[in-house]
Amino acid sequence: MNEDELFAKYRATGDLRIRNEIAEKYLYIAAVLAKKFVGRGVDYDDLYQVASLALLKGIDRFDETKGLQFSTFITPTITGEIKNYFRDKSRLVHLPRRVAEMRASIKRAADALVSETGRKPTAKEIAGKLGVTEEEVLRCAEAGGVVSLDNSVDGGKEGVSFHEILPAADDVFEAVETKDAVWSALKTLSEAERALVGYRFGDELSQTETAKRMGVSQMNVSRMERKILQKLRETLGKSMVE
Amino acid sequence: MNGMTLELALKNELMTTVRLATGGVCSLAGLGLDDSEDCKVCVTESLLLLKHRGYLSAEIRYGYEDGFEISIEGKSVGGEKSSPAEDEISVALLNALAQNVTMEKRNGELCKVAFRFGTKA
Repeated sequence: MNEDELFAKYRATGDLRIRNEIAEKYLYIAAVLAKKFVGRGVDYDDLYQVASLALLKGIDRFDETKGLQFSTFITPTITGEIKNYFRDKSRLVHLPRRVAEMRASIKRAADALVSETGRKPTAKEIAGKLGVTEEEVLRCAEAGGVVSLDNSVDGGKEGVSFHEILPAADDVFEAVETKDAVWSALKTLSEAERALVGYRFGDELSQTETAKRMGVSQMNVSRMERKILQKLRETLGKSMVE
Repeated sequence: MNGMTLELALKNELMTTVRLATGGVCSLAGLGLDDSEDCKVCVTESLLLLKHRGYLSAEIRYGYEDGFEISIEGKSVGGEKSSPAEDEISVALLNALAQNVTMEKRNGELCKVAFRFGTKA
């Protein structure tokens, strides 16, 4: 059976076996086109899936009586679907695949733990279930929240937006003022607290690495960090008001 | 004149370099990211079409004086000719992604591909 006969038979009968036969014959076009769009932030497997679905849609829409070759018809159809997919997916803030997978695993583990215990699990329990560090669970759980710059800083409907408080990249005077305010605020911290700030935000060490340097547990570092940030926020808030 | 000309051997290992150069010119021409990516695909597809016609080298002319126009012409011949089924997809892809796609033939064989991209630069 040639191409036109195959399509004519499918259109007449709607037999999915015929559609599948056509799809298998032209699946290579989906593969070829998916490869052409690799490297734009979407994995080949995802592109291949989008292209394959577009192929199936195209088979349903193709009219062999119009004198067009199917391969000529389907290429722009698949290309259009792939471009739509890029438009929908890749413009958002893109999480690294590993983080996205970990977030899904955390959700599954948390749901399972709720079923087992009847209460919300702690980060430690989730970490134990997944065999990863608590820090990794916390970091991945925090990632992925997209915040609009038009949202107000205090979470209310009105008030100052994030957009308004973002400093200009080249505002040297503001940078000097900020640096001065941070130095003053740091003076209110104890020696250990300043060391922690140095490790975490100066050397950019992880909480675990910081804990090793300071000879305390990672949980301890996490608690101290929260306390320090709270203290700094209060001190800096006061100095901004003054 | 705003533009650039690039002459290269049609070797697979040079395709990444061509893509990079094309991306740079797209940026100068003021194309958006999506159009730039599409443009890179069109340039490499055109080069592959010429390679399959036995060309050993090609000249790419980028011009963004009035809109962004690209022409890719086969130069020295003598390479192995092939006609994979994928060529048909390449042509359809060019037509799907670019505007004003034209294909010139010499002695019945494709020798030059030209297309336009995006709106006025």
